[in-house]
Amino acid sequence: MSGLTLRLKAPANERINLSGITPGRLAALSAHEIARLNVGFDKVGLPLGDAFDVSGSAGETLTIEGSGAQLDYAGSELDSGTLRIVGNTGAYTARRMSGGKLEIRGNAGDFLASGMTGGIIHVSGNAGNSAGGFIPGDRFGMLGGIAVIEGNVGMRVGEKMRRGTIIVRGKTGEGAGSRMIGGTIWAEGGIGPRPGLMMRRGTLIGPSVEELLPTFADCGKHDLVITRVLSCYLKSVLGDLAPKPMPLFVQKIGGDLATIGRGEILLPAS
Amino acid sequence: MSTTVNGIQIDDTFAEAFGMSGTGIIITADSMKWARIAATVATGFGTSVIGCGAECGIDRELSPDETPDGRPGVRILIFGFSPDALVPQIRNRIGQCVLTSPGSACYAGLKAAQSIGLGKAPRFFGDGFQTAKKLGDSRYWRVPVMDGEFVVEEETGVTTDAVGGGNVLIVGKDRAGLLETAEAAVDAIAKIDDVITPFPGGIVRSGSKVGAKYAGMFASSNDAFCPTLRGTVKSELGPDTLAVLEIVIDGLTSKAVADAMRAGLKAITDTGAKRGVTRVTAGNYGGKLGQHHYHLKELI
Repeated sequence: MSGLTLRLKAPANERINLSGITPGRLAALSAHEIARLNVGFDKVGLPLGDAFDVSGSAGETLTIEGSGAQLDYAGSELDSGTLRIVGNTGAYTARRMSGGKLEIRGNAGDFLASGMTGGIIHVSGNAGNSAGGFIPGDRFGMLGGIAVIEGNVGMRVGEKMRRGTIIVRGKTGEGAGSRMIGGTIWAEGGIGPRPGLMMRRGTLIGPSVEELLPTFADCGKHDLVITRVLSCYLKSVLGDLAPKPMPLFVQKIGGDLATIGRGEILLPAS
Repeated sequence: MSTTVNGIQIDDTFAEAFGMSGTGIIITADSMKWARIAATVATGFGTSVIGCGAECGIDRELSPDETPDGRPGVRILIFGFSPDALVPQIRNRIGQCVLTSPGSACYAGLKAAQSIGLGKAPRFFGDGFQTAKKLGDSRYWRVPVMDGEFVVEEETGVTTDAVGGGNVLIVGKDRAGLLETAEAAVDAIAKIDDVITPFPGGIVRSGSKVGAKYAGMFASSNDAFCPTLRGTVKSELGPDTLAVLEIVIDGLTSKAVADAMRAGLKAITDTGAKRGVTRVTAGNYGGKLGQHHYHLKELI
């Protein structure tokens, strides 16, 4: 694989902070400077060269191998190029990512894509709780971009999400789209129980929903042009990663009527 | 010194065109029939900026794989003197003619550095029930209407490099044959992208000169090209001329206008002579009106 490769020397016995370890940033540094980057959390710090073997030449692609759940903030601040992570990642993966592509060949921890504004994430495994959700101190969750998760996601995916698209090939956990302000969550495997608590706007799409909150109302069967626009857009950006288009008619469930009720859950119309 | 092509005299003159602002809009619907209806109505009364506020027309039809929603569509072009002048035109035409048309949706039809509101005003028809969906760099408004939702993109591109007033004057001795030839030329021009021929059927019979003897008239009949005035005014027409028809072309780029004029001229010279076309010329104001000059000799 071309580009720069960071290979974890040994299973990490402390949390590693990969914040800002992006292809673009590393391309501007010498090998010596890369090795001296601090990837630790505590005051002592941890030089990148102590934790990883560095090989290849810096460029548009950066590969991190031998990673694990101790690796936090992987892909955070990514703005261009491709970052490949072979293995699992910890929390806050793709935090405030604004562009480029992040490929995770494993599972992602909690708070995947929090504050993300652009780019594409592809997780081949599962994602933890609050994917695309907000973290304390933030006003919103995900703000743009696309995350494709091949497996399942945990609780409260897209909490306070404002823009962007999350595609889940599997199922979502409880409370998907809680307090959602905008954006789209498309769960091809189904939407977990009680989605959209206090959602103001935004769209949840899936073949089924486990349990609806009483503050959602059935708006009936519709042929919505926006689902076609969404499908065409995702196909153009994601190619084969795009979800299969919804059938022509969808059942719209509007809510959360406990707030302004502009949100929606779209299910195939029977 | 004129040139003759296939028996038709081509005057050594040029069409004089001027800079304009132009925008493109894609209109889709459940069927091509309804996309075409919405587009035709939205571009109606859009012949000349002198009296219409904008020059409008259908550029081309789009297959489902060319539109943002995978439905059949039509791309229209709207031209005006400035981006600001296009704002009320777009607001009114989209609001009155596309929003109202069954099954329609409306999207940006031009990518450009500068943009202009497309759904910014019509969205308010939703009375607070409208919602937006931002996908990539585009924001789409969903306005509840009685047959579902009217989806309209917030903005479309606008260019200030557009050209208005490319033209060809077809002169002949058979009015019906002249019209057939002009129709063939319009059909040939329709195959060129990024241009429209805004007049009825693409053809103008009322070529104009600048100004008039009456106060308040910005333009008036081009008496030099009116056959019935031959002999009473300083006419540009020979004794056998019975009629003159003009084709006016607006384009998003100067190249598109030149390509369209070339296509039109070829259609005229290919079959015009047997239909009574004797001469082709062009309208200009001595080079004082616009910066774009399309010399007929360079286009044949």
